[in-house]
Amino acid sequence: MPYLGGEDTVRELRRALSNPNVQSDQLRYRNTILKVIRAMSQGVDVSGLFSDMVKACATVDIVQKKLVYVFLCSYAALNPELSLLVINTLRKDCQDPNPMVRSLALRNMTNLRLPSLMEYVEQPLTAGLRDRAACVRRVAVLGWAKLHNLQPNSEIDAAVVNELYSLLRDPDPVVMVNCLRALEEILKEEGGIAINKPITHHLLNRLSDVWGQCEVLRILQRYRPQSEDELFDILSLLDASLVSPHPQVMAATLSLFLSLCSGLPAVSLAALERVRGPLLAACGSVSRELRFTALCHIQLLLRSLPGLMGAHYKRFFCGYAEPAYIKQRKMQVLVELVNDDNVTMLLDELKGYCTDVNTDTAQAAISAIGRIGRSYSDRCLEILTGLLALKQEHITSAVVQTMRDLVWVCPQCSDTVCLALEGCEETLQDSQGRQALLWLLGVYGEQVSSAPYTLEVFIDGVRSEVSLGVKMELLTTTMRLFLCRPAETQDMLGRLLHYCIEEEPDMCVRDQALLYYRLLHCGIEETQKVLQGRRSDPSLGVLIGRPSEPISQWACSFNTLEPLRQGTVETDSTSRGSPEHVTFEPKPNTDLSDTLNFSLTLLLFLGDEKMEEDYMCLEEQIQFPAIPHCSPQSLQAAMQLVNIQTLAFTPPHTLPWRVYLYTHTQHAGDSPHITLILGELLYTGEANQRAVLKKALKGFLSILTTVLHTLSSERK
Amino acid sequence: CRGPAIFVLICRNYKGDVDMAEIDHFMPLLMQHEEEGLLCPVLSHGSVHFMWIKHSNLYLVATTNKNANASLVYSFLYKLVEIVKIQSYTEPPQIRPMSILEEESIQDNFVVVYELLDELMDFGFPQTTDSKILQEYITQEGTKLEVAKSKVPTTVTNAVSWRSEGIKYKKNEVFIDVIESINVLVNANGSVMSSDIVGSIKLKTMLSGMPELRLGLNDRVLFALTGRDKGKTVVMEDVKFHQCVRLSRFESDRTISFIPPDGESELMSYRINTHVKPLIWIESVIEKFSHSRVEIMVKAKGQFKKQSVANNVEVRVPVPSDADSPKFKTSTGNAKYVPEKNLVVWTIKSFPGGKEFLMRAHFGLPSVEKDELEGKPPITVKFEIPYFTVSGIQVRYMKIIEKSGYQALPWVRYITQSGDYQLRTNV
Repeated sequence: MPYLGGEDTVRELRRALSNPNVQSDQLRYRNTILKVIRAMSQGVDVSGLFSDMVKACATVDIVQKKLVYVFLCSYAALNPELSLLVINTLRKDCQDPNPMVRSLALRNMTNLRLPSLMEYVEQPLTAGLRDRAACVRRVAVLGWAKLHNLQPNSEIDAAVVNELYSLLRDPDPVVMVNCLRALEEILKEEGGIAINKPITHHLLNRLSDVWGQCEVLRILQRYRPQSEDELFDILSLLDASLVSPHPQVMAATLSLFLSLCSGLPAVSLAALERVRGPLLAACGSVSRELRFTALCHIQLLLRSLPGLMGAHYKRFFCGYAEPAYIKQRKMQVLVELVNDDNVTMLLDELKGYCTDVNTDTAQAAISAIGRIGRSYSDRCLEILTGLLALKQEHITSAVVQTMRDLVWVCPQCSDTVCLALEGCEETLQDSQGRQALLWLLGVYGEQVSSAPYTLEVFIDGVRSEVSLGVKMELLTTTMRLFLCRPAETQDMLGRLLHYCIEEEPDMCVRDQALLYYRLLHCGIEETQKVLQGRRSDPSLGVLIGRPSEPISQWACSFNTLEPLRQGTVETDSTSRGSPEHVTFEPKPNTDLSDTLNFSLTLLLFLGDEKMEEDYMCLEEQIQFPAIPHCSPQSLQAAMQLVNIQTLAFTPPHTLPWRVYLYTHTQHAGDSPHITLILGELLYTGEANQRAVLKKALKGFLSILTTVLHTLSSERK
Repeated sequence: CRGPAIFVLICRNYKGDVDMAEIDHFMPLLMQHEEEGLLCPVLSHGSVHFMWIKHSNLYLVATTNKNANASLVYSFLYKLVEIVKIQSYTEPPQIRPMSILEEESIQDNFVVVYELLDELMDFGFPQTTDSKILQEYITQEGTKLEVAKSKVPTTVTNAVSWRSEGIKYKKNEVFIDVIESINVLVNANGSVMSSDIVGSIKLKTMLSGMPELRLGLNDRVLFALTGRDKGKTVVMEDVKFHQCVRLSRFESDRTISFIPPDGESELMSYRINTHVKPLIWIESVIEKFSHSRVEIMVKAKGQFKKQSVANNVEVRVPVPSDADSPKFKTSTGNAKYVPEKNLVVWTIKSFPGGKEFLMRAHFGLPSVEKDELEGKPPITVKFEIPYFTVSGIQVRYMKIIEKSGYQALPWVRYITQSGDYQLRTNV
């Protein structure tokens, strides 16, 4: 009964604590204190016992001391005055012949976190630095950091700082590492501990226990070697820990490696190859969290070295009992690893996951197959079509959504998709799945013979339809179908428009219906122009795999929490509407955004004035070395992948061919701040960029360059 | 930066930069993510990140507001579990041993846990995590009191931090256990998808003084170095050593030399990535006749040497959750239905190599079928084969040198056991 009878408990405990009989019996006294601590950790407010506990502090019983200290450190902030009483005992303990008692007293003295006690603490701390027992020095060194943390504005004596610097050469490895930590904290204002050549080499040669190693490696990231020789000396010292079996050491080392070699991409790539073994080992770790962390970091590495794990794809097969978050990550990795040799095995395996009990995992597997379908469409479509036969609600929905996405990139798949669509409307329940189906019916209406009948069911049920998205999609689809099969659709279109304009309570739907209604008044040709304007380009080549990014894109987020949290963004991709309205491919841009703190977003509305004003600003010209010899359409499509919109372009085959581009940047840190970037691309091989913010421009250019590079390499 | 907190039971705020009340957001956050199927080992609330692991019925949560090194935090949390378990083993019997770390055992031992939390980490930085050394700091029992007052932990000032000086045994012995676990994943069509061996060499050291030990294995890299090429050798990957092993010597000439910690310890672990033939091969035919019955036929074959015997073999075959009225027939061993786990467990006490056994099971199915989709759990197998290692790893010698010059005996034992041993089924 942790929360009940709190007051009674406290009263009883106080009586026991002040009972002289109890006090004289060591064992009983300690047991009573034990009860206090137990009550405390169960959530009872025992702060009222503070003065009794202070008395209990003066004892020779170490266990009792420890218990009392636990109590005091929890409640000292509430009773600063009474805490003053403890200080005496603590200071006396600091003189104790037993080093354990000394370190205990010193640690708790600094854990009280009371600024008023500072003056009493400094002297024992200084003495502690020179204690002959390492365990006391360990505590004393960190004690200074705690002191500074408590009062960040107070000056720490320069003598102490010097002493801490000299303790970096302490024989005890933990004292050494603690010194590093303390100096980092104390000198925070000045940018942390000053790392020079002797310190660096001293630290590197004394890499000791696992935890300390990570600390040292992290701090060394600030050091810049003075010469290339020195750099390679350091790198060879680091080599052993690069393949450390402890994932945390390996990750910290690689992080340092990458920061040291930022100017030497070839060395960095070699380092990535070197950590493959340890990373794969971490993927097989017993701890699922470590497995997960390793997977997330592998995803980062794959961005620069897509072929890194190709041969080891079997290591990413999911175990039956693995948690969904690991399975989904593994599938994301598997998609990246696919090649001609393993595609059969890989798809077989993924097919097995599609019937996973966890619906999210199943849907992730289906969309993974869809992603592979961009390169191996026939095999994937066969699997996807097969899945429809299961008539499972969530599977069908995911399959239809995946097909929609696939067909946009690979229009040649449309025949197969249209055949597969027949009859699956009966199984579809959720709004996203139905929206996807409607979109497909609208775009490929003439190929699906039963399209009008399917639509009719939707239109008959529109009154009870709750999803806004489905209603909007239904309007567009019916319009589109009307354009290609007017005879069959005219009547139901009329009914739908009538309902939406006269009865529909939602403004959006009503406005869209009105828009279509008026559009029809403008004549069939106008309507066609508006509704069938954008189609994906059948000539668009498939982007096999992702272009390899420079390591610098992600190096700064390596070995942080960042890669672990990125996945949650990607799972959102299932909840989007039709491809032409929303961010088409979220993956490339989320990846870029997380590393650069910068992303391009797609805003459909662009104010005239704003544009003119911005256009007059900065001007900059950049030459792209690679000249893409591709059709304007595929260039445009590729740009859309990274959310760069084409404003206008001159007719194809005229030279110089000009494209006007625009995009918005979004800074992850300060979200309302949006920069507009306008660009002019000349097909002769150079581009004029006009932009507002330099930083934004840099990011924009790197993305643009990536796109152009991909296109040109593909054509070669 | 990190303040691990064992919530509700025990919490410890190491740095004071994260409000202790923040942890109150953890459970709701966890529930919410679990419901949405977005569960992830890192959860965030505002600027605070919760990194958690689950151990039996406990959540161990580290809170941080920094962009921390994730693998470090998780490793630390696992180390914490390991140490808390070990430490409470060594306590006197009146304290319930924490063979399984769970809520009750934390409550019974919470003073030790507090002490450990204090020693393991200071100001958010991991300190000593070696359990042997920690034992000397922890003075939970009253009987130790007098000793603690007079005796300074020797390791506090010692150069060899993992071993105390002045250890004495009447009979000097070392027991070496070579344990290999096999992980196998077999596809429904019978092809081996992946397999590897995870090995571990454990020591139980009962030696006086400060002995120098050298372990010789039939390591292929070593044999290649020395130019010997006799007999079978093994290629080890991902070799991990106890901190006592001199890594520089291993790097340079593959010698495993060390001063061992006293008592039980894991000297090294390794992984071997070769295609192993599954030692116990399972063929299964599971036929499901909707609304009426399930017929299961499982054939187990020992694919190892005739001289060896696998002990305590358990073949776990999944059955539909709505199955009832089980009937079994086995050529050897016992089959039992475990309804709460939806399994048939077929136990064979001793299974000689080269032999083949058969089990048939029959279950009834209700005429009204459940709507829920059921997963396809794999068949899993557990076993233990003594006096045998799959990889063929061997301890060639163990040299023990101590200044007093006593004679010591090394004892070696080999065991192969099942690790993650899964065979997928068609149903």
